[in-house]
Amino acid sequence: MLHTRQPSSPSRIRFRLLADRAAKLVFGAAALFGIVIMGILLARITSEGLSWLSLDFLTGRFSTSPEKAGIMGAVLGTFWLLAVVVPVTMIVGIGSAVYLELYSKNGKIRTFIQTNIANLAGVPSIVYGILGLTVFVRVLGFGSVVLAGGLTLSLLILPIVIVAAQEALRSVPSQLGDASYALGGSKWQTIQSVILPVALPSIMTGAILALSRAIGETAPLVVLGIPALLIPFPGGILDRFTVLPMQIYYWTLDAALVADYAHLAAAASIVLLISLFLLNGSAIYLRNKYSMKA
Amino acid sequence: MIKSIKKTMLIGVAALTLAACSSKDEESDTASATASTELEGSVLIDGSGTVYPLMAKLAETYMVEEQEGVSVEVSRAGTSAGFKKFLVKDGTDFNDASRKIKDEESQAAEDAEIEVKELKLALDGLTFVVNKDNDWVDQLTPEQLISIFKADSDVTKWSDLDPSWPDEEIKAMGPNENHGTYEFFYEKVLEEQDLKPSVNLQQDYSTLVTLVSEDKNGIAFFGYGYYAGNQEKLQAVPVDFGEGPVEPSLETIAEDGKYATFTRPVFTYLNVGHAEDKPQVLDYAKYVLENANKMAGETGFAPIPESESKENLDFLNTLSDK
Repeated sequence: MLHTRQPSSPSRIRFRLLADRAAKLVFGAAALFGIVIMGILLARITSEGLSWLSLDFLTGRFSTSPEKAGIMGAVLGTFWLLAVVVPVTMIVGIGSAVYLELYSKNGKIRTFIQTNIANLAGVPSIVYGILGLTVFVRVLGFGSVVLAGGLTLSLLILPIVIVAAQEALRSVPSQLGDASYALGGSKWQTIQSVILPVALPSIMTGAILALSRAIGETAPLVVLGIPALLIPFPGGILDRFTVLPMQIYYWTLDAALVADYAHLAAAASIVLLISLFLLNGSAIYLRNKYSMKA
Repeated sequence: MIKSIKKTMLIGVAALTLAACSSKDEESDTASATASTELEGSVLIDGSGTVYPLMAKLAETYMVEEQEGVSVEVSRAGTSAGFKKFLVKDGTDFNDASRKIKDEESQAAEDAEIEVKELKLALDGLTFVVNKDNDWVDQLTPEQLISIFKADSDVTKWSDLDPSWPDEEIKAMGPNENHGTYEFFYEKVLEEQDLKPSVNLQQDYSTLVTLVSEDKNGIAFFGYGYYAGNQEKLQAVPVDFGEGPVEPSLETIAEDGKYATFTRPVFTYLNVGHAEDKPQVLDYAKYVLENANKMAGETGFAPIPESESKENLDFLNTLSDK
């Protein structure tokens, strides 16, 4: 066989080096883009809202007078929402993942379920809102209460939790399960005392990231009909409620009427961002702590 | 590790049970009460975003000063969207409206066997606003305003209205069909002539304020309150109804004021059945009628004559005697 490739000319080489440098620049800029946007966002909301953050703001009730308004109602609303979302997504999410990974056989049914879950993960959140309005608020007659909102948001994040839990279960080394079987453990015993405990940190990481998404959602709740003015604190999952993102949304709208509402929206955004950072941080902490042990 | 799963579940179940218990006692809002006693339960209000600031102020003061046990919840889907939630079984108790109820909505109420009572709250002036840097428009006639918005007209540039004005495209905007403000404009000002397809219709008033304050050629219309809160960003167009230009203000938009042609009453519609069944709804309805005039000014509305609220109050009093 003849060598057909010619040695590169110096101009070719210069072009390649140039292309190399250009590529580095383009990709570097792409990576910076996110950071710059984040920086602008943070600078803007801190300059607008930081001076409005106070203990009274955090613990106060909602008010139409900006200087009296507080966000405790929205914070409690989020808390009760989580009281619904956490158990529902954990039980149903881990349950379906265990079934899909450990019980179901490879076959048509499994592929069917798997495809559906993948598709559900891509459904826009507002569609879940419409579903929640129809099923939970209207048909089941809950009204726009925490329970209806919580179940709607659970549906929204379930696909994410299931996929994360499946990944986690799949990454458990098969020797561990085999060892348990060798000792005479039943399938449930093996799952319960060997596989789940090993997979739990990764499952939690995925679940916490999904929860932080639920906390930040606005679109499905707008559809459910969360009131713009709600002063009493929600005391349980059958009470009507509002959450931080909704409060931010309404204050942003009302900034057209009373300019100071913009500061309230910014201050509430700071609170929301900090809580999301904390949640995501705890997910990363869990992941790092347990992946080192493994 | 398995313990922590169990713990999570336990906490969840405990939370559910606790919550179920705590909210039960709030459902018993059937206790019959007179106006002076402590009331509880909730009052659900949806409807016009134009009326929202006034209704929100009323609701807050009611809860803070009158009845702490009652939760008045105010939403703002828009007049038409609100009526859809109002005219169904177990719908909202009140629907705020920046226009009168329509025939088909009255029909829907009849079909659903809902008795509806119109309560007039205040007066609002349809205000046309332009950009701060717009130094040519000092006044417009209703005819000129119509020609800017209606489809069947040759006016697309400012110079079409007055040759000395800039030869630039007019950017007309307004609230969309969900809003009573749109319908008032369409029915009473345009007299049901079609709008130009180029008119930019928005869901949120805040968007309109931003758009006009950023576009030198912008012109938009909305309730007076949205102008009153943004006087440093926008200027109102004085309208010449035939006796010289009139700028909208709390005085001119009042009953029989000089701006009266573009002034409209704003209402809240009461579900009479709910008022008979739930004392807190009736009590709040009375509070609204007695106090709307006091709070109208600070939220950008003009008060209505006492005699009109008196008439409605008398009607409500017949309900409580039943």
